Amino acid sequence: MSLVKILEIALKTGRVTRRYPAEEPLVTPEFRGSIEVDPSKCWGCGACVKVCPPNALTLTPSGKSLVLEYFVGRCIFCGMCAEVCPAKAITVTKKFELASANLRDLRSRVVHEVLRCSVCGTPIAAEAEVRAVVKASPVSEEYAVLCPRCRKERFAKSIGLRVGAPGGGPS
Amino acid sequence: MTEPVGKLIEELKNLGGKVEEVRGREIYLVASRDSLRSLAKALYSAGAYLKTCAGVDERPIQGVLSVYYIFGLDELGVDVILRVPVTEEDARVPTIVPEVPAADWCELEARDMIGVEITGRPVRRLVLPEDWPEGVYPLRKDFDYSTRPLRGFRSELPEEVGVPLGPYHPALHEPEYFELYVDGEKVVDVVYRGFHVHRGIEKLAESPRFTYKQVPFLAERICGICGFVHSSCYVMAVEKAAGIEVPERAEFIRSIVLEVERLHSHLLWLGVAAHLLGYDAGFMHAWRIREHTMVLAEYLTGSRKTYGINIIGGVRKDLNVDKLDKTLKTLATVREEFVKLAEVMLSVPQIRSRASGTGVLSRFEARALSVVGPVARASGLYRDVRKDYPYFAYREVSFKVPLYTEGDNLARLLVRVEEVLESIEIIKQLIDKLPGGPIAVESWDIPPYRRAVAAIEAPRGEDVHFIITGVGKPYRWRVRAPTYQNIPALRAMLRGAPLADAPLTIASIDPCFSCTDRVVVYDLKTGSRRTLRISGGVPPCPL
Repeated sequence: MSLVKILEIALKTGRVTRRYPAEEPLVTPEFRGSIEVDPSKCWGCGACVKVCPPNALTLTPSGKSLVLEYFVGRCIFCGMCAEVCPAKAITVTKKFELASANLRDLRSRVVHEVLRCSVCGTPIAAEAEVRAVVKASPVSEEYAVLCPRCRKERFAKSIGLRVGAPGGGPS
Repeated sequence: MTEPVGKLIEELKNLGGKVEEVRGREIYLVASRDSLRSLAKALYSAGAYLKTCAGVDERPIQGVLSVYYIFGLDELGVDVILRVPVTEEDARVPTIVPEVPAADWCELEARDMIGVEITGRPVRRLVLPEDWPEGVYPLRKDFDYSTRPLRGFRSELPEEVGVPLGPYHPALHEPEYFELYVDGEKVVDVVYRGFHVHRGIEKLAESPRFTYKQVPFLAERICGICGFVHSSCYVMAVEKAAGIEVPERAEFIRSIVLEVERLHSHLLWLGVAAHLLGYDAGFMHAWRIREHTMVLAEYLTGSRKTYGINIIGGVRKDLNVDKLDKTLKTLATVREEFVKLAEVMLSVPQIRSRASGTGVLSRFEARALSVVGPVARASGLYRDVRKDYPYFAYREVSFKVPLYTEGDNLARLLVRVEEVLESIEIIKQLIDKLPGGPIAVESWDIPPYRRAVAAIEAPRGEDVHFIITGVGKPYRWRVRAPTYQNIPALRAMLRGAPLADAPLTIASIDPCFSCTDRVVVYDLKTGSRRTLRISGGVPPCPL
């Protein structure tokens, strides 16, 4: 009877279940686990926050700082954040044993100093981001430390001065 | 357009249809309320299946509420989409159920979600809960995503209260609920009550926090088993609507991963079927073989499930020599072990005797209800999206579509067994022909208010996504999972059959159920009620 052949299959196969956690878990080299944000590289630009499908990454102002928070409890391990990060600050790890009795363990934060407009004091962006922009592009630092409104005004004024309009253009 | 299509269009024009747009293999027609039924009838007699219908609030664009009826002409590989616009003040459309029985659910869903009254048929709430306020339609654009309407409680309770613990176990994801009316041991009627956990995914995708790029990850979470089908179908719909040309290599990679997904899904189902039949040795071995495909999926994509590699315009992960090599080795192992197991399983006398002749769905009923996938193919309908509307790389491969005419549980089992072997051959051919080149387009642009229908053959059958593009995100995204089309067929399968066959028959459509489902049994003679437990390890799924 061919149905007895199942015994033959079973005997030949033996035990396939791993003795986890005593034995190493089976994870392939391509496995995507939780992410890590390197605070020394992060600019606080929020590109990762915009692309994150489940809102695991958030960027919120808190007092004088801007906080990038990663809540692994919401993470779906897609790794899109690492792909879009302009600073290459995010790495996808192979970690998946993330359970904890303490909710705080599931959150990690990168705190950024906020740069304020040197004229009117409006918060502009994280200081690290402005520094990176100044370094990467030929923007004069004088303009980079201004909020968009003051920047526009100063630009208009300087053009006005150049063409000699009275009052230095609209303001 | 080919001659038969042209002839059909002429006929539809004579019946009052107005051609609005022809895009690729999709023909959009506007119909009036009065011409809808005759148009639907003409399409149905021409051999079209109803893929689904969708209510769309188009007031912000054209000042109307529209109901879209998506018909597919399998033999011609053409979709005909009827749009019936109505004003908000006079939002009524006639039912097409007498002509096209498969429209039963989607008509009711459109009524619930955008508030178009369906005339000429008994109506009830399908998707919305009983205590949802009247006149509030969640898919209308003026209904904000974050609104939570105050729901009233029923003031009077019946004197006698039955307390069924379940079917809604608080920890499980996807309850489905069948009321089986029995006379002795014979099932005389079946009432299905579903949508207990409607997740509002279509509305969520319209909410401010979602963009085109994020929706594939949301779509992938519609189903815990065939998630890649949904993300593929979403990106395909967007790519079709926007006219984005996807690199060939990306199409091949998508097809390979789709077939790997089919392998794991069918092996999962075969295990569950064995378990339901009390053959747990078969269950264990089916799942052991399935594990090879799960590990392979992780190696190819980065994740065992919810692969996350689909993006608009291509894929995120490339294949290399190591991966292709590992794939071929895994396929060889799976094939060898599966053939042995299938032979043993099918020789177990209890399996054959319990599966054959039970849960019969006739070809006629299958056609009327427009059932899909293995359920259709086991009832003699030659339907397979991969053949009828070839997408991605399926034009490049040759494979057989298993066809049975018995329409019973055994036929559905055999279809899936053969499909496992076909899938393995398909992947081998795809690897053999895998072209080089990029795996994604560098940039894309999606113009607003373009429409497209995409369909993919999921392990459970045809999955349909209909999209109207918007600004930065879909304007309307309609998903029709295969189980939506197949559940109504259960009534035909269960009626007149012994109660003991019900658990297997329900499972035979491979519904996406929670791990434990329950059925309440009413005995018509004694009026008593007991619950029947079906334990089948099927993880959660669809809408």
